[in-house]
Amino acid sequence: MAYTPQYYPGSTSVGINRRKHMSGNLEKLRDIPEADIVAIMGHRAPGADYPSTHPPLKEMGEPDCPIRQMVEPTPGAAAGDRVRYNQFADSVYFAPAIPYWRSYWAAINCRGCDPGTLSGRQIIEARERDLEAYTKKQMDSEMTDVALCSMRGCTVHGHSLRLEENGLQFDMLARTELGADGNVHYVKDQVGIPLDKKINVGKPMSEAEAKKRTTIFRFDGVPLSGTVGARKPDEALEATHHMWTLRSMWGFRPE
Amino acid sequence: MVTTSDTDTVQVEIVPSRFLTPKTAQHLLEEIYENGGIIRIMIHGPNLPRTVPYGPGRGTPIDENKDLLIRIGDQVLELTVKVGRIRLELEGDQYYTGLKAACERALPFSFQIKKGKFFPDRLTVSGYAKYGRVEDERLLGLTDPKAKKNKLAMLSDQKVTEN
Repeated sequence: MAYTPQYYPGSTSVGINRRKHMSGNLEKLRDIPEADIVAIMGHRAPGADYPSTHPPLKEMGEPDCPIRQMVEPTPGAAAGDRVRYNQFADSVYFAPAIPYWRSYWAAINCRGCDPGTLSGRQIIEARERDLEAYTKKQMDSEMTDVALCSMRGCTVHGHSLRLEENGLQFDMLARTELGADGNVHYVKDQVGIPLDKKINVGKPMSEAEAKKRTTIFRFDGVPLSGTVGARKPDEALEATHHMWTLRSMWGFRPE
Repeated sequence: MVTTSDTDTVQVEIVPSRFLTPKTAQHLLEEIYENGGIIRIMIHGPNLPRTVPYGPGRGTPIDENKDLLIRIGDQVLELTVKVGRIRLELEGDQYYTGLKAACERALPFSFQIKKGKFFPDRLTVSGYAKYGRVEDERLLGLTDPKAKKNKLAMLSDQKVTEN
């Protein structure tokens, strides 16, 4: 029987969603054109050639190394692309993803990338063409709700603040706006430079939908420790306690 | 000039569950102002910069944050923050019920309102270093002495000062 990795414990919807994020088995909710993703990232003009930092690996004459022979380079590494980044801020108001789960997703599912986890934002660095593919996966899938998550290369302030009146995550650079048609539009790239045209990224999730897809334990959603009066901790909490007990008392040695 | 009153003043904080657009903020402030009894009021929220402060786009104008004008009474103010919290001091407890009703009329979503102690009585050391001795004690707690710019808008029945 083929081995199925057991990524995360818990039987609540949050536990199930966390497993989905880690396994990469995510539902695709929208299809944003690649050119639009490239424009929002702002590293190169859509359609332009990829600038490179070194010649393609095949032309470089690599040393005789068993590791290099075993590991196939990613397309970006093979072509010698620059390393670039994307960065997302996810609202604490039931955004589908949170920085740790974006990082787990990237570390498990994306080759040749460097995920960085911060309290309110998450950055992924990779070769440019690889990164564009990863970014498209993130923005197309249920990891992203266009109202509660947005790509913010700088001035990310907003993840722990109250939402705007229209339900969007607060953004002091006003990179996204809610159109009259109910769709969210990017009007600036991730560092706040205005785009040539507005980019439609689709409709936001309803509050109920966001709560269904979230990976955030919250007292007013799925609480990690159960509801008041009926304390029944999620299995995730028990597993974490178990791990910490083992780690504290004997050193963590799963055998 | 310091406003004096025979009754004890009441300090109130209003926290809406969402950040307010300038339109809603104006509506709310108008309702609060019409209710009367205000000694001082402070609008609090995250800063709305006029240009991109960091990164490769530094210095790019942010048109969305410009000219956010609100009219209260016969005064026009320019908002420099996203309105997320309003603290005010009332002349007496008799204005509190009307204030709560004003918030219910103006805000289309839930909010918290509570009485408490929200303004300091004395200058801090950095406040004294910047302003020296302050004659009008209503100013205490309305400004951040460490801010690079003065962002003070004070409304009262007696006078309106704007810096």
